[in-house]
Amino acid sequence: MAKKKSVKDTSKFLQLRSVESGYGKLQILFGVDMDINPSDITLIIGPNGAGKSTILKSMFNLCDVYKGKVMYKGKDITKLPTHDRIKMGIAIVPQGRQVFSGLTVKENLEMGAFMTKEKELINTRMDEVLGHFPVLRKKLYDNAYSLSGGQQQMLAMGRGLMQDPQLLLLDEPSLGLAPKTMQEVFEKVKEIRDEGTAILMVEQNAKAACEFADKIYVLEEGRVAMHGGREILKSDKIKKIYLGGHEK
Amino acid sequence: MSIATQLILNGIIAGAIYALVASGFSLIYGVTKFMHFAHGAVLATGAYLLYTFAVMAGLNFWLAVVLAIMVTSLFGAVMNWVVYKPLRKIKASSAVLLIASIALMTFINAAVLAIWGADVKTVPTVNPVFDALGARVTFIQVIIIVVSILLLLALWWLMKCTKLGKAMRAVADNKEVAQTVGINPEKIYTYTFIIGSFLAGVAGVLIGIEQNLYPQMGVSLVIKGFTGAVIGSLASIPGAVLGSFILGLVENIGIWWLPSGYKDAIAFVLLFIFLLFKPSGLLGKKVREA
Repeated sequence: MAKKKSVKDTSKFLQLRSVESGYGKLQILFGVDMDINPSDITLIIGPNGAGKSTILKSMFNLCDVYKGKVMYKGKDITKLPTHDRIKMGIAIVPQGRQVFSGLTVKENLEMGAFMTKEKELINTRMDEVLGHFPVLRKKLYDNAYSLSGGQQQMLAMGRGLMQDPQLLLLDEPSLGLAPKTMQEVFEKVKEIRDEGTAILMVEQNAKAACEFADKIYVLEEGRVAMHGGREILKSDKIKKIYLGGHEK
Repeated sequence: MSIATQLILNGIIAGAIYALVASGFSLIYGVTKFMHFAHGAVLATGAYLLYTFAVMAGLNFWLAVVLAIMVTSLFGAVMNWVVYKPLRKIKASSAVLLIASIALMTFINAAVLAIWGADVKTVPTVNPVFDALGARVTFIQVIIIVVSILLLLALWWLMKCTKLGKAMRAVADNKEVAQTVGINPEKIYTYTFIIGSFLAGVAGVLIGIEQNLYPQMGVSLVIKGFTGAVIGSLASIPGAVLGSFILGLVENIGIWWLPSGYKDAIAFVLLFIFLLFKPSGLLGKKVREA
């Protein structure tokens, strides 16, 4: 995939300011602030129920944002409909290897470019995506349900890339994958970042994912507990968060 | 004239009508995930609109046919906007939507009765009879078979080869993921109701030309369409079509041995057999309980 144009003001790529969000009356996030740089892999880690996936959903209009702002390239997108966010270059790969199981691999990828009208552009993007995930090329006309778990995850990521995003939101891409497949998926994530797509990734498998993350946010009970580079993994606070306050 | 050939031909004609009803029903069920039983009332509306335009208003017959089908398609979309969309907005369950569809069917049947009256109506047409393969067939019956087959092929093409059809299948498959690629499910539901009601409108017009019209006609036809869909597979259009032809053939061949009054009973017996022993239908995937 061709390297993307660099974003001029990197400090204004994606910002969350005092975001409070949840689902109906159930508030999950409490005043979350984040700054995501272009061409970075930003990782969100934290224990179950900390609100990691809700951060991604807040950026994609898939949950209720009660307060605060989501700013993308200097524009307030907090109330923007999902399809307008896609047009602005944001794509999401939901948790759980979610593909259109009754559609073929090719049809899944075509649906990824649903907002694109030019057929030639869709074909070009499909070629690029299949370049990233050659295993899908052999299964182009197979139904997605017949793919293995790892292949389904790659298809879900490929579908996200069909929108040629500048920011890719990945929700637990390694969930339920064998260690070898998980490593393959993480390699692909790095490849995508190296080609200029910013990645914001939620991951349970913190140890493996932190190895290649540029920036890490640690979430605890709907609040940012810590953030910084890989060095924060050595902090005692991390152990407390993950082990419920009982250090080993 | 061979009785067997005649019964098979009658079965194919009945199956073609049931297939049109079942394909629309199955399309709406597959995408929206609830059983739109008012689909039968939409069909009856199509038949009565043909009567209104062709007989009461005295319009050109073909213009009346086109108008009846167009208004019926729009009627389906209006039903979706006025009744089902507000229910979806408050996150009503499929059971609530099913109850709403039965209420809607009852309401429309009553409205048809109030507007056009209880007496049987007829749309007069020229309908020559032919002998084909030792059986007697009318011109309109030939039209029914040809139109049904052409429409079912067009529907298959729409679902497999067009962007709209793929988006409809994507929403049917996973509505939440469909939203993440920019598909607006509400728009897709509108298109689904328009296409499903178009098929019901065509079925209504074809029945209106061939048979008498009466206010409850949609109820028995939607039950036949539903039975056909259950036999083949409720969520699969090819399954619904296959099931409908099987139902048409079994019903018509069955009355060789049974009195013709048992025709509807045959459909219900088949429905019970499939619900008991093969609820996923002939082409359906086995659903594993969580």
